[in-house]
This record gives sequence, structure tokens and C-alpha cells, in this order.
Amino acid sequence: MCGCLMYFSATAQETCTASLSGSVQSNPWEALPGATVSIDSIGRAAACDEQGRFLFENLCSGHYTLFVHFIGYKRQLVKVDVTGKTQITIILQPDVTELAEVLVQDKPLHTEHAQNFTTLNQKQLDESSGKSLGEMLKEVPGVNSIQAGPGIFKPVIHGVHSNRILILNYGIRQEGQQWGAEHAPEIDPFVASNIVVIKDASAIKYGTDALGGVIVVNPPPLPETAGLGGSFNSVVQSNGRSGTFSGMLQGGIKGHEGWGWRMQGTARRAGDFHAPDYSLTNTGVKELNFSASTGYHSEHKGIEVYFSHFKTELGILKGTSISNMDDLLAAMERTPPQYTTDFSYNISEPRQEVSHNLIKINGHIHSNFGEWRLQYGFQNNNRQEYDMRIGSLSTIPSIDLQLNTHTIEAEVERNKSEKITTCFGVTGMLQENNNIPGTQRIPFIPDFNNISAGVFGISKFFFKNLTVDAGARYDYRSYAVAGYDFKNTLYKTNFRFHNASATIGATLAFKKRQTLNMSISSAWRPPHVAELYSLGTHQSAAAIEYGLLLNDSTNEVMDIDDVSFNIEQALKWVGSYQREWNKVTLDVTVYANYIFNYIYLKPTGITQNVRGLYPYFRYTQTDAVFLGADFSATWQVNDHLKVIPKATVLRASDQTNNDYLVFIPANRLEVALRYESPKFFTFKNFYAESKVKFIAKQHRAPRTITVREFNNAIENDTDPLQGSSSNFDFMDAPDAYWLWNMAVGLSVQGTKARYDFRLASENTLNTTYREYTNRFRYYADDLGTNFIFSIKCTF
Amino acid sequence: MKHAQFRINNKVRVLFSSLALVSMSFLTSCDDDDPKKEDTPELITEVTLTFTPTGGGSTVTATATDPDGEGVQNLTVDGPINLAVNKTYTLSVELINGLADPSEPEYDITAEVEEESDEHMFFFGWTSNVFSDPAGNGNVDNRADDVNYNDEDDNGLPLGLNTSWTTVAASASGTFTIMLKHQPDLKSATSTSTDGDSDIDLDFIINVN
Repeated sequence: MCGCLMYFSATAQETCTASLSGSVQSNPWEALPGATVSIDSIGRAAACDEQGRFLFENLCSGHYTLFVHFIGYKRQLVKVDVTGKTQITIILQPDVTELAEVLVQDKPLHTEHAQNFTTLNQKQLDESSGKSLGEMLKEVPGVNSIQAGPGIFKPVIHGVHSNRILILNYGIRQEGQQWGAEHAPEIDPFVASNIVVIKDASAIKYGTDALGGVIVVNPPPLPETAGLGGSFNSVVQSNGRSGTFSGMLQGGIKGHEGWGWRMQGTARRAGDFHAPDYSLTNTGVKELNFSASTGYHSEHKGIEVYFSHFKTELGILKGTSISNMDDLLAAMERTPPQYTTDFSYNISEPRQEVSHNLIKINGHIHSNFGEWRLQYGFQNNNRQEYDMRIGSLSTIPSIDLQLNTHTIEAEVERNKSEKITTCFGVTGMLQENNNIPGTQRIPFIPDFNNISAGVFGISKFFFKNLTVDAGARYDYRSYAVAGYDFKNTLYKTNFRFHNASATIGATLAFKKRQTLNMSISSAWRPPHVAELYSLGTHQSAAAIEYGLLLNDSTNEVMDIDDVSFNIEQALKWVGSYQREWNKVTLDVTVYANYIFNYIYLKPTGITQNVRGLYPYFRYTQTDAVFLGADFSATWQVNDHLKVIPKATVLRASDQTNNDYLVFIPANRLEVALRYESPKFFTFKNFYAESKVKFIAKQHRAPRTITVREFNNAIENDTDPLQGSSSNFDFMDAPDAYWLWNMAVGLSVQGTKARYDFRLASENTLNTTYREYTNRFRYYADDLGTNFIFSIKCTF
Repeated sequence: MKHAQFRINNKVRVLFSSLALVSMSFLTSCDDDDPKKEDTPELITEVTLTFTPTGGGSTVTATATDPDGEGVQNLTVDGPINLAVNKTYTLSVELINGLADPSEPEYDITAEVEEESDEHMFFFGWTSNVFSDPAGNGNVDNRADDVNYNDEDDNGLPLGLNTSWTTVAASASGTFTIMLKHQPDLKSATSTSTDGDSDIDLDFIINVN
């Protein structure tokens, strides 16, 4: 697409007249425009043109080592003797699982100041197409998910999730109802050409909340020249009998150089998923998304407008619909879950309907001072949760929330010299959360308005082999809250928070293709209103939840100044090391995240109402520590075969109470064996992969008090919590399990289009298992075998 | 070049100012209004059992009261239910939402249950054979066990807002359990007290003298 011939530091050396030209190709008939060729010894580099050609002129005759590089391909070192006009052809081997992209100039958008991050590129996204964003991200070492059945995946980075990670969708902070454990991010992954997981807590430019990390969803750049292109994707899956269809069209405008547009849409429909032994009744999905964008870009300025609409309807496993503790006991002991019937595409209560609309406008312009950027976004998020309720109440939602968010950001980036770039900016956010009247239930969270503002500055310093980023930020947030307490009487209150965050990080590149990254960041987040004021029972939770500001004994709403509340703050250190040998690449990340005043839902006691006994959970604060490591490597055994191991380990603990935390993903290991061949009979890009995943048992889980033990204790008038205030769970953490996945894929190159075919199976052996971080593990087994067939047509 | 730049700047300005207007109208339109108070037709805070002796005599009532709905305070159950020996009673159950005003429709939940009788069923359990009719210990543990239902739903299945009880001839005491289960699409001639989800689950002390 873009393939202009470029020279960096092309200082002519008058005495030398030799030249080196050539081409970089993926195979004898396919050029790689945009590949970079560098000669480090003389500090020169070139990017290949549309035919994959490069040229170095005015070279002295002699011996040179070329470093050839292109995203998605294995890097290659080429030794060449240059005399006169030397020509050379370089073939790169595809490397579709290449993860951490460490070259600074190749950094994806919005990662400019991050040290430790992992990218899922287009090829990797294609290989998990048909999945939701949260499920896709599990491919990244260090990322897991909190799940609520087969359709709802919330990403977890290094053990933290929900309000502690930030999702940047096309440069806009995603603002939805992130507080709920069964509220998945409202983003269609088909919009992205790459998705990046930043593991630093260093979102200095994007505001508060990034205590665990940032997920960046980047669509491809808009076309700038005339022409029409696009792609169509269709994915069918056996488990859930689902179909996903996604299409994208993009082009430039003839006679209006610089203008481009794109339209994209996705439809997805799934019925009941199934576990190895039974159907998971009412777990269907209905999703319809579309987006459109247009923009103008020239060398010094650009403007873009983007609109996206996301709408999903999700069934919640019917067997999770329970009331008191006796119901929970019955549900845990029952196989299959209550209400289990044959396969159906029907979605009935309990279910969720969620929509998210985004309008974004951003522009940038280059002046002598630097580059100015301005961005405005408006997000409208609607969430309705329907439960099985008395009579006709099932047809009205028991939670009905509308969240409107305006964000505005302005920044200027100044490149004073080649040694330093500095970026300053201001951000503002206005947010309004409303309960839509008519739920016939006391709202679970109150209405609120919030106004947030922040200022930041961050600099990047370039030394010889070292780049250093240092930045700081100050944020302010005010809340105006109005809700109803347990008596259904109105309360109204206002309060505000403000605090600073800072980050410093460095990347050191040294010989033998090694890189070392290090960062220390402090981050904070204002509490979410849900953590302060939640009241009531939650979909499928069989527990009552109370916010931090509800009085222990009277349940009255208290003033925030009258309770010992402290702002949640994190101090996260991340170090990573990458090294490339000729046949092996290695990427290791180690981190320590200390979160002060960590807010979590603590199981606290038992309360009784006419429905029976209920455990209740209260939002509480403690100091938490997350220590862990992520590991990934590639071993190119020969030209075709490679082995790709990945591992994630995490130890999380409650420091204050010397206890374990709930919902911490267990350690996991996977090993993929992959055969690749650029040419396979008349096909191209053939691959076959076999992957084994091992998920350990979470041994660092809170103690178990079974419902039966609870009931017996209450009957015998003894303390079911056994005189201890430590955390507990109703069921032991599930056993370790193994899964075996397979995939084969190939491409057909037509004259006008390319077709990619993929056939895969997941949980091939139909293993019965339960995942610790799946909230539905109390009720049902996880998914059985799933066959996936996908076709992607790119033109 | 200069001209093009001006054109873009102008476009940016027009777009941003119009968006600012849109956002202002969004914010001012719904600001500072108090949220609307919801009716709470599902909330049951008071369950009253009224035993009326057949052939006259004074009624016996027992009440379970929850002071705060979903709040942390525990339920209080009064009683004991003191019944006379060798006497037949009809038991009627009344469900009230005491956090609502008595004039409001959601105050009386009994009517709601009656209307949805094909999705609801009361189950009863008791100890120490306090009743001669029905004999046994009730249908909480075994659906097939006897309970004398005086009402039924449209499908001819028992409901239990009104039931009959005859006490034993000699003094006895024990517990009396009443459960109301919500069983949408599950209620049948064999559905049990563990099917569906619980709307009521209460234990009372019972004495027969």
C-alpha cells in the first residue's frame, strides 16, 4: 500500500561510489513493500518500495552486515560483499506468532511511551476471528479473563480487571459499566488491525484507572489514495452452532488525494453452547455492529471522523437463576443444571441487552512548534439486564442503565531535537449515569454525574542504545450522586478526588539482539460509584452486595467523610527482556504490582429475609500484591517447523490480612507445535498447528466453606465463618485441566482477491473441566469440543 | 497549501463547535433532576400466617418481619404458633411489602402470587407429627407427601395460599416450615421444593396444646 522509497541519515560519502540494491520478498513471487533494511555499522537504513526494492548508493566497497526486518516475518541478518553495483535478493520467512515487537520505530499507535507491551497483529487476530475481544486477548501471555458463561469474557491483565484496566478504543477511553464482573467490553474486535496489551501502569496520556495495564484497539489507518479495497470474513462454529459474518470496505476518493473512508459491519448469532455432557440452556448470543469513518491526511495535518455502533443480546445460563442459599446448594449439586433443555437459538431471561455508540472526531496539525492534536468523543452506553421475576416483571429489565460520556483531549508533541520529544496535554470528561425508570426495583447503583479533568506531560529521551520515558499527570474527578437506599428513600451527595500519577521507563538495546525494558509507574483511580453504593442481589450471584458507604448495621448511606476511605493507588514495576538467537526468540516479563487500598467484594456474613438465608458481600479495602511473570519463546526447529511455548504465572495476596484474593487466574502453560510452508501444492501460506494448554489448579484460593457447612452451622447455632474474617468461597477451586487445540490454514491467491481458509478444533478431546475464573463454575461444566471453519476474502 | 490549511482548520472549528453544542444540550437536558422513585412489587417484608379454626373460635397468627428488605438486618419471626389439640384450622397466607405505603399497589404481594398461580407453589414441612391430617412431615422433603391444599392453579395443580390442618390429640411441639417457590415453566405434578427459586423460606415454632 504505502511504499515510498525512503532514506534515513543518507549522508553522501563522496569518495565511495559502490551501491547495493536488491529486493525483499516473502517468497520468489511475492514482494514485501515496507520491509526495512539497515546497515548498522554505517547507521543507514532503507524502506522497500512497492516492488520490495531497496537501494543504498555511495557505499564504500567492502563487507557489510544487513539487518532485514518486516512485521510478521522473521528478522534476518545477511552478510554481503559490496563492490561496484551489487545486487541481492533476500527472502524472509513468515513469523505469524511473532509477539513483542521491540523496535521503537515500529511501535503500534498509542504505545509510544510504553516499555512493556504485547501486540496481536492482523494474522493473529484472523486466527481467532469469531471470538469476543476478551476471549481473543487470552492469547497474550499475562492476560486472562473473568468469564460469566460462554459468551461473557472480561479481560484480566496481570491479575487485575474491570475498573483497573483501561481500554483505548481507536484512541478513546472506553466508558461502559465496567464495574460488573459479568459486563464484557462493548467492542467489536473485527474493527482492529492490531490489538496491543500494555502491561505497564503508564497510561499517562489517557487518564486514571490503568492500575493493571491498558488494552489498545487500533483500526488500520484510513486509505489516502483512490481505489477500493476490503475484506469479508465468515466464521462458523459447531459449539453454539454459531455464525459470524463481518465485512469491511474502504477506499480513497478520486481527485481528492488524502481523503479516505471505511465502512465495516459484523453480525453474529449463536445458540445454546454445550458442555461435553449437556446443553448450556440459554447461552445464545445475538450481535450486530457497524462502524464508519472518513478522514483526510496530508503530510502535516489530518482529520478523522469515526462512528461505531455495538449491540449485543446475551443469554445467561438459565440454571444460574437462583435465590437463596438452599437454591445455591441445590444448583451446585445438580447435574445437569436446572432448566436444561435441547439446543435452541432462543434467548430468554436471564439475559442482557447492551448497546454502545461512539462518535469520535480527531485532528492533528503540524506547526513549527510541534504537532497539535485534538480529539473529542461521545459515548452512549445502554445496559439492560432481565431476570426471571414474578409474573410480567420478567419482561421489564431489573437493571436499566444509560451512561453518556463526553471526552475531550488536546495535546502538543514537540520534537526539540533528535534526542528528545515532549508531549503536553489536557483531558476532560463529562459523564452522566442514569437509571432508566420503570425497573420496579430499587436501583442497584445510583444515578451520578462526574466531571474529570487532567493535565499531563511526558518526555522521551533518545540516547545511543537507550530510550527513556518519563511523565507525570494530575487528575481531578468530582461526583454528584443521587440514589435510593434500602427503604427506597432518596439520598444525594457530592464529593471529589484528585491525585497525581507518574511513570518512568527505559528500553535498552544491546548487542546480540537483546533488549531490556524496565518501568516503574504509579497510578490511581477514583472509586466507582458501584463500589461505594451498590445495594442488592446481582444476576446469578446468589449473594447480596453492599457498597463501602452503607453502614455495617443500619444499612444507612453514610457520608464519605465519615468512613475511613482511602484512594486506591498502585505502584507497578515491570521488567522485560527479549533476545533473538538465530533459531530462537525469547521474551520474559516479570512484574510486581502493589495496590494500596485495593477495593474488593469481601464475603462478610449471612443475612436473612423472607426468601431465606443469603451470604452478603461488602466492598472493603486492603493492600494487595500481585507478583508474576509471563514467558513466551519461539524455536525455529527447521525451515518449516517451530515450537512456541508460553507461560503465565501469578501470585496474588492480601497483604493486610495475610490472606488470598478471590478470582485470581491460575498459572498456565501452553506449547504449540507449528508447521508452516509458504507454498503447499498450488496453495500459499499453509500452516498446521497443534497446541496443548495446561491450566493448573489455583492453590492460592481462599478457604472453602460449603453451603452445606453453612446450613449446618446455622442449624446448630454455631458461627458459619468459624470466628475468622478471612475470605471464603463456596466451592473448592476446580482441578487442573488440559486442553488440546488444532488448526490448519492456507491461502489461495486469485487475480483480484486472496482467500484465507482455516479449520480448527478447540477442546478436541471433549474434556470435561471447570475454569476457576468462570463465575458459572458453581453451576455447570465448561465448553465441550468446538469446530471452527473460517474464510476470509481480502481484495 | 495555505488555502488548504485554512479550509481544514475551518472544518475542524465547525465540527467542534457543533459537537460542543450537542454535548451541552445533552448535559443540560437531564441535569439535576432527582431520579424517579421505583415501585418495588417483588419486595416481601412481612409474611403472616393466619390459622382460623373451623366452626368458630379465635384465630392464631404468626408473622415473620424483615425490617430492611435487602438490608443487612435479620428477619424477626414471632410465634410460637399455638394451636389447640384435635382441632381443624384453615391456614391463609398473606404477603406484604411493608416498605411500601398501604395505598400503593405493590403493598399486597398475595394478589400477585394468586395471579401467577401457575408459576408458584407453597411447600410445607413440620416435625414431630403435630398434625393428624395431613399425616407425615409435609412435602418439603418429598413432593408426594400429603398437604391439604384448598386452592389450585389453572392447570389443576396446588397453590397453597389456603390450606387445611388438623392437629393431633395429644400435646406436641416442633417446627413449621413454609416455602414459596417460583417455578416458571417448571411447575408440574412432580416439581419439588428444590425446583425454581425461593420467594419465601421461613421456619416457625409450633406448639399443640
